[in-house]
Amino acid sequence: MPPFSFKFFLSVFGQVLPYLPVTLLIIILSIIFSSLLGVIIARGQLGSSKVWRTVSQGYVFVLRSTPPIVLLFLVFYGLPKLLLLSLNININDWQKSIFVIIALSLLFASNLAEVFKSAYLSVNTGQREAALMVGLSEWQAFYRITLPQAIVVALPNFANTVAALIKDAALAYVIGLLDMMGAGDNLISRNFGHHSLETYLALAIIYWILFVIIEQSAKYLEKYLGKGHTIASKSAEVVA
Amino acid sequence: MNILFLIQTFWAAVRAIPVTVLITSASVLIGLPLGFLLAWIKIRKIRILYPLAVVYTSLMRATPMVLLILLFYSTLPSFLNVIMNQKLHWHIKVFDTNPVIYAIIVFSLIAIANLSEVFRSAILTIDPGQKEAALMVGLSPIQAYYRIIIPQALVSAIPNIGNLTLNILKGTSLAFMMTVQEVTAVAKTAASYTYNYTEAYIDIFIIYFILGTLLQIIFRYLERYLSRHKLRVKAV
Repeated sequence: MPPFSFKFFLSVFGQVLPYLPVTLLIIILSIIFSSLLGVIIARGQLGSSKVWRTVSQGYVFVLRSTPPIVLLFLVFYGLPKLLLLSLNININDWQKSIFVIIALSLLFASNLAEVFKSAYLSVNTGQREAALMVGLSEWQAFYRITLPQAIVVALPNFANTVAALIKDAALAYVIGLLDMMGAGDNLISRNFGHHSLETYLALAIIYWILFVIIEQSAKYLEKYLGKGHTIASKSAEVVA
Repeated sequence: MNILFLIQTFWAAVRAIPVTVLITSASVLIGLPLGFLLAWIKIRKIRILYPLAVVYTSLMRATPMVLLILLFYSTLPSFLNVIMNQKLHWHIKVFDTNPVIYAIIVFSLIAIANLSEVFRSAILTIDPGQKEAALMVGLSPIQAYYRIIIPQALVSAIPNIGNLTLNILKGTSLAFMMTVQEVTAVAKTAASYTYNYTEAYIDIFIIYFILGTLLQIIFRYLERYLSRHKLRVKAV
């Protein structure tokens, strides 16, 4: 093992950080799509249709024990095959980042559905009933009364889920995507396997900074949104 | 879709389940006492150790599991080699060690950090009056912890311990990077001969679904068992 080279450690940042936008783009798009899907699933779980309830609960249950890497490979290898066989659509030439975004969105939709559901249920139903009583429509009652309260409750768990998503997005390099991890991996290969300690350590620090940014901004937002609210936003600890 | 391959690989991968279960259970069992110790350091704010504990927890929770696995697997064996053979002259064949050992070390380190946060939040939910009352009736501080605080904290910690165990179980699917022959590695190797990757990953998916479901059932029973006193009070 070559001795730890501090100079090399610093140079890793310069070589890896240019790929930060790729990582961030994947994270942001995955958050958007998984939130949309998560809302649909949460609605299905809370809705009155028995079919939708079973489907959405089954989805959450199955995805809960699926390792991210397995879903990533299933989407990467299986989806093109499935579409080619069933609909005769060829997506083999799609960019790898699209497969990563699909896999992460599918995976985290189930987590976010749980977050949204518990946040919605934490708001007292009396709030909605009172809003309907004073003449608001069903949509207005949700949009103006329930949602603002539910967001405050959902925020800590949402931030935890986002932190977990960022960590799992690091797996994208195994299917050959050139993000930060991929760039670091290439860097080690170019040095014939040397300096792996410096490279991985630098990557760990970058991920740590991302984590702290998410953590702190969630804390700040929670304080900001919670202003003027009297309901206790008790957050269940979610282990990332 | 190659159904024959799907079934054959399924049974091949099933035979690797003990390795996956061993890594998961060993890591969590090692993590429980050490995680509790770390939580205790953070709650009592023990001097010097406290900042170290906080930085360790944050780093472990913030870094992706792949990165931790790669980091430790690429440096830990060489590091141990330098210490044990070049400094201490023990002449242990570090590089021949079963990679399962390294996997258990890495996942334990992750489990310790996460469990310390679970225990910390669980202990903080217990009313300090409980401890004061225990000390008042003549229990020693250790007895108060052991008999009053831990049994109550465990009830609120069990769902989170279950979540963590599930995450470690899912994380073991990355142990193939350390050349551990667990479920994912076996199925992947079988697929690499014939390029039936989709079938192999469907097998892994099914096995993890079964293992995850069993784990959730076990933890639901544990939770019910540990909160049995609570239910009795409610019934009265």
